[in-house]
Amino acid sequence: MATAVHPRHGSRPHGIERRRRRVAYGLLGPGGGWLVLFFLVPVVIMAYTSLKSGGVMAGGFTFTWEFGNYGTALAGRQEFLLRSLTFAILTTAGTVLLAYPAVYWIAFHGGRWKSTFLFMILLPYFVSFMIRTVQWKFILGDNGPVLTFVKDLGLVSDDFHILATAGAVVGGLIYNYLPFAALPLFVALDRIDPALVEGAQDLYATPAAAFRKIVFPLSMPGIFAATLLTFVPATGDYVEAEILGSPSTKMIGNIIQTEFLGRARYPVAAALATVLMLTMVILTSIYAKVLGTEDETLSAARV
Amino acid sequence: MKSPTGAPDDQGLQQLMRNRLTRRGFMRAAGVGAAGISLASVLPACGSETSGPSQEPSQVFSGEPEGQVEFANWPVYIDKAKDPDTGESYIPSLRMFEEETGATVTYKQVIQENASFFSKIQPNLQAGQPTGWDIVVFTNGWEFAALVANDWVVTLDTTKRPTFDRYAEPFAADPPFDPGAKHSMAYQSGLTGIGVNTQLVDAEITTLDDLADPAKLPPDSVGMIKADMPDLVMINLGIDPLTSGPDEWNAAADWLRMQRDTGLVRQYYEQGYVDDFTAGNIAATMAWSGDVLYYQLWGGYPNLEWIFPEGGAFLWTDNMMIPTGAAHPVSALQLMDFFYRPDVATMVQEWVFYMSPCSATQEQILADADAAEAEGSKGYADKLRATAENPYLFPSDELLANASFGRQLENDDEKAEWDSIFEPISEGG
Repeated sequence: MATAVHPRHGSRPHGIERRRRRVAYGLLGPGGGWLVLFFLVPVVIMAYTSLKSGGVMAGGFTFTWEFGNYGTALAGRQEFLLRSLTFAILTTAGTVLLAYPAVYWIAFHGGRWKSTFLFMILLPYFVSFMIRTVQWKFILGDNGPVLTFVKDLGLVSDDFHILATAGAVVGGLIYNYLPFAALPLFVALDRIDPALVEGAQDLYATPAAAFRKIVFPLSMPGIFAATLLTFVPATGDYVEAEILGSPSTKMIGNIIQTEFLGRARYPVAAALATVLMLTMVILTSIYAKVLGTEDETLSAARV
Repeated sequence: MKSPTGAPDDQGLQQLMRNRLTRRGFMRAAGVGAAGISLASVLPACGSETSGPSQEPSQVFSGEPEGQVEFANWPVYIDKAKDPDTGESYIPSLRMFEEETGATVTYKQVIQENASFFSKIQPNLQAGQPTGWDIVVFTNGWEFAALVANDWVVTLDTTKRPTFDRYAEPFAADPPFDPGAKHSMAYQSGLTGIGVNTQLVDAEITTLDDLADPAKLPPDSVGMIKADMPDLVMINLGIDPLTSGPDEWNAAADWLRMQRDTGLVRQYYEQGYVDDFTAGNIAATMAWSGDVLYYQLWGGYPNLEWIFPEGGAFLWTDNMMIPTGAAHPVSALQLMDFFYRPDVATMVQEWVFYMSPCSATQEQILADADAAEAEGSKGYADKLRATAENPYLFPSDELLANASFGRQLENDDEKAEWDSIFEPISEGG
């Protein structure tokens, strides 16, 4: 360990300190500017839009502090919000359960092929998101290759179908969000020193115990990041429900879309989007408080 | 297809490019993200919030042609050919216009859906700022009504469209949603009826009621097009949508709920029914004439059939309009009129398979068929003939009398009432 004297305790002149600070803020600049421009400004505009009133036929919408939009937006929409949260929880669980064993194997047994295997997980995602999702219509189609085969074997009845069910929507979500779980999990697992596992086994831990006491706790930051990265976008997703779902699998994103495009009530759509965002902020904060510690949040950020 | 390269081997490329992309079935629509749309649409709205001033047509169109047109249209909705020298694809009809007038046309396929494109240009129009487009194409519907009601499109100088005056079909010359075609000129029209996959359906499907008959169709096998279903249902209930009111709307909603409760409906589509239809996931569906005709005649799906419902079909028109504040209105109007020339209209129609607003394209297509046969492309000639003889591309007066335009919603209250009646159906309410 180096024993460098912290500059604050030394007798360095003030000018250097000031320059250091300037550099620090300067480094913060690009990222901070990005956040302001592409996060803060849109959020403010969204909130601003959510308080407008008017109509598309009557010249458009003007800002009038119309808080009533929130009531209109939420009336009868709890069902869709709940369904979105349920789908997102299932998606998060599914992606983590699928990704964990795979990247565990890659991290500990991938050897020099590690990056190749990881690349193979990512490879399908080089194809456009829409094209991949629409292709499931053909692959899992009622008369597509999979179901024709299964029906020919007599395993399912003739009018059995996978598409247009909740399973298809959640399956599509898991498929599309898999890399968002795989990558942070891999980084977390890859950083674990194999010597720790060997050490545990030298001390007579069974492989299961070594995993439970060493690997799993050390991979927690990865799990925390993976769950956040899948849960948050999956809740607001509406494409899977639109393409692979049916009227009974509509998610809150679809309702926002209907409000925006179908009914052309832009302020109501903005209000609903604001509510969704606040809900996510609250839920993830609770999650971070209960399951993660501040330390883990920081570790997750490091991941 | 009437390109200088018009040789049959070009057809292969053209068909390939079109294969999965018909204009209405284009699937990017839903995907690209409402987030992006909403951001883009609200940003300019932060400025002033005044409506643009109404402009006199004689003023707007008084100058010389500006020599430039910014044209926003739907994907795969115009002719296309491959330049034999450069190998690049180009749009023959627009190239012809450019050569004849010296103007430059920038053609962008940016309209995926009426409502989303409307939401993109609406903030600019509301703020009195130019949209950057000289021609936009909207289907008759609430977006169209809002553009006209708010003076967000310019009133056209009707003295400056001689070709239109000469060749416009009656449904285009004086449409009920824009009397005298003062604000718009039809680009293409189409019919919404029923598409049937004959491989999957044994029963005879002739009316919309058949799409609610469990004896004829299996569960989860029917597609409905959300935006068109209220009008089509009214037409099939014997109601004239044009004069309908809330009572009639509720009658249509009752029918739709009855249909939903049969368990036959698989999805209420915004756009993408064609993917499910060609994949065989839906057996029968509300469908746009041009989509099904293209797949049946040219796309290698002879098992798909388009049916004009016994109760009547729903007629719609995609209309070219000039947004207020457009920088090149004179050239734009010139181009809009140019599309009514029979040779130009034929070039477009042979590609898009919808009803041309220009009369006299039928003879042109037949002439092209003869020419193709003389060149030795018998198969291509036969397809052109089948196109020219198709009753839904060239509907008889009798057939058209049995089709109706949809209800034009006049104001926000009407739209709110309409939506409160019909939107809950696809949300399960």
